[in-house]
Amino acid sequence: MSPASFRRLVSLAASVLAGALTAAAVQAQAPAAAPSWQQGRSAEQDKSTLHPFAIEVTGKGAKLLPIDKLKVPAGFKVEVWAEGAPGARSMSLGDKGTVFVGTRQLKDVYAIVDRGGKREVKVLLKGLESPNGIVFSKGTLYVAEHHRITRYDGIEGSLDNPPAAKVVIDGLDPQNQPGHFWKFLALGPDGKLYYNVGSPGNIVMPSYFQASISRVDPKSGITETYVQGVRNSVGFDWHPKTKELWFTNHARDWLGDDSPNDTLHRVAKKGTHFGYPYCHQGDTLDPEFGKNRSCKEFTPPTLKLGAHVAPIGMRFYTGKMFPAEYQNNIFIALRGSWNRTIKQGYNVTRVSFDANGKPKMEPFLTGFLQDEKADPPMWGRPADVMVMRDGSLLVSDDHNGIIYRVSYAGK
Amino acid sequence: MNGFSRSPAALAAGLSFFAAGTAFAADEVPRKAEACIVCHGMGGNATDPAMPSLAGQPAQSISMQLFMFRESNRKDPQMSPMASSLSNADMNELAAYFAKQKPASPSHRTAPENAAEGRRLAEQHHCVQCHGPALLGLQHIPRLAGQQPAYLKTQLRAFKARTRSDFDGTMTSAAQLLSEKDIDVLADYLSGLGAP
Repeated sequence: MSPASFRRLVSLAASVLAGALTAAAVQAQAPAAAPSWQQGRSAEQDKSTLHPFAIEVTGKGAKLLPIDKLKVPAGFKVEVWAEGAPGARSMSLGDKGTVFVGTRQLKDVYAIVDRGGKREVKVLLKGLESPNGIVFSKGTLYVAEHHRITRYDGIEGSLDNPPAAKVVIDGLDPQNQPGHFWKFLALGPDGKLYYNVGSPGNIVMPSYFQASISRVDPKSGITETYVQGVRNSVGFDWHPKTKELWFTNHARDWLGDDSPNDTLHRVAKKGTHFGYPYCHQGDTLDPEFGKNRSCKEFTPPTLKLGAHVAPIGMRFYTGKMFPAEYQNNIFIALRGSWNRTIKQGYNVTRVSFDANGKPKMEPFLTGFLQDEKADPPMWGRPADVMVMRDGSLLVSDDHNGIIYRVSYAGK
Repeated sequence: MNGFSRSPAALAAGLSFFAAGTAFAADEVPRKAEACIVCHGMGGNATDPAMPSLAGQPAQSISMQLFMFRESNRKDPQMSPMASSLSNADMNELAAYFAKQKPASPSHRTAPENAAEGRRLAEQHHCVQCHGPALLGLQHIPRLAGQQPAYLKTQLRAFKARTRSDFDGTMTSAAQLLSEKDIDVLADYLSGLGAP
């Protein structure tokens, strides 16, 4: 996390505390103001020991990890593709085969190049503000930081000497707030860059531009809110045939082990509202913000993925390597759960569709979850998935800074 | 203001002491850790009340703090230069070494009047929820039991003053409503805690 991120946290704490301290002057035993991950906890949950897990900021080598516990369906194979990329999250593929990787809790963007079957991890960009979102297109790498989106032209020709950033849009976090402001970034079929602006806390009323997926035209810098009521989406992709946007969404915490579900959504039209903060998972009113509202006002998810499973990256499978039935399926990286007494998730899930378009989910890459009751319960956390040109699937693990490759060799 | 009080001269003297290769069992201490134990004590058990013990700290808590010093998120006149030349692999190696060392029985004795009050404060201010019921730490969250008292006080005051970096804001927030007396009582209580 960068110094500015720390300052932001501190300024958050300061703003939250300004009120609390005034109250404290009157009432000496006022409770300590909560950090944003604790926001929305009930009085009964005050003693909860559930907590988010921190990544290994210095990375962890594969030889220290139970890689042999990873499981894929029969005919598939999983292996370590690259390591030594601490905090590796979103991935994007360059024209010349460079795999670009963004980070959320560090300040770096990596470029991973294949050198005769061995992967070399280069720190391509340094000192950025939570550069989680990256997308490569036509020679240019776009990077979404906390507060801005930038472009690096001709990047693959200058991996050792990257050009200076050119700003596409700045001021995406004008209030310098805590909360879900790291961004996913993807290039739509319309040539516009799509990015999320999450909610500023666990369960709070968002401002007009928050809890949304927005888009910006990289040529003009003109932005539009695309869909609303999205608490925090850190993964989206467009259906290869219908060209509709699909996205994953993280639901609120502290409502219990089994509700609400994190979700998968399809966008049929611009301007759709998906419910946050009033309605969760399409059918559950928020105990506070749901008063005087109905879930019928909002568009429900296509699929409930499980409570607290933290779906991050998702991609449609369009490669030629996997069996035909995988074509246009969705792979989703589940990076959670933490806000649940018995943990679940921590896998790459496959979503397939029957003839009527009804979705079905099943675990595809498992083995990261070791002990659902332990703290920590897992040794690795899938954060993004990406289809390579040969049809194999890369999976990033930001907990350890490792990228795995899943391939199919046949029966 | 992280409470490191050793003078550069003492540090240099300590370094040359180890470089000279005395009867000390140098083969048991990784070379990289030699500079650390000058201040943090043999096996990471500090004897200076202002110096944090590293023995038995969760490995992730050590590597994360080293990382924060190197990346200038956490600043200290002695630790910042120490960490500046360490690679991620160095940090992981040091973290693994000190995490494996056995914490010494605390030399600090909690004042009798602070034992129950310290526990009450540790529960009221939610220390036990993240640092664990016995305050032994886990993952990136450090062990507090048996930690040096002056170091604990300096850190809590720095969190309260918002001058110490904080991974996710939790400590900055938790420290705000601690009074000066609470900090003294907590440090006295925590420093005297041994293995459960």
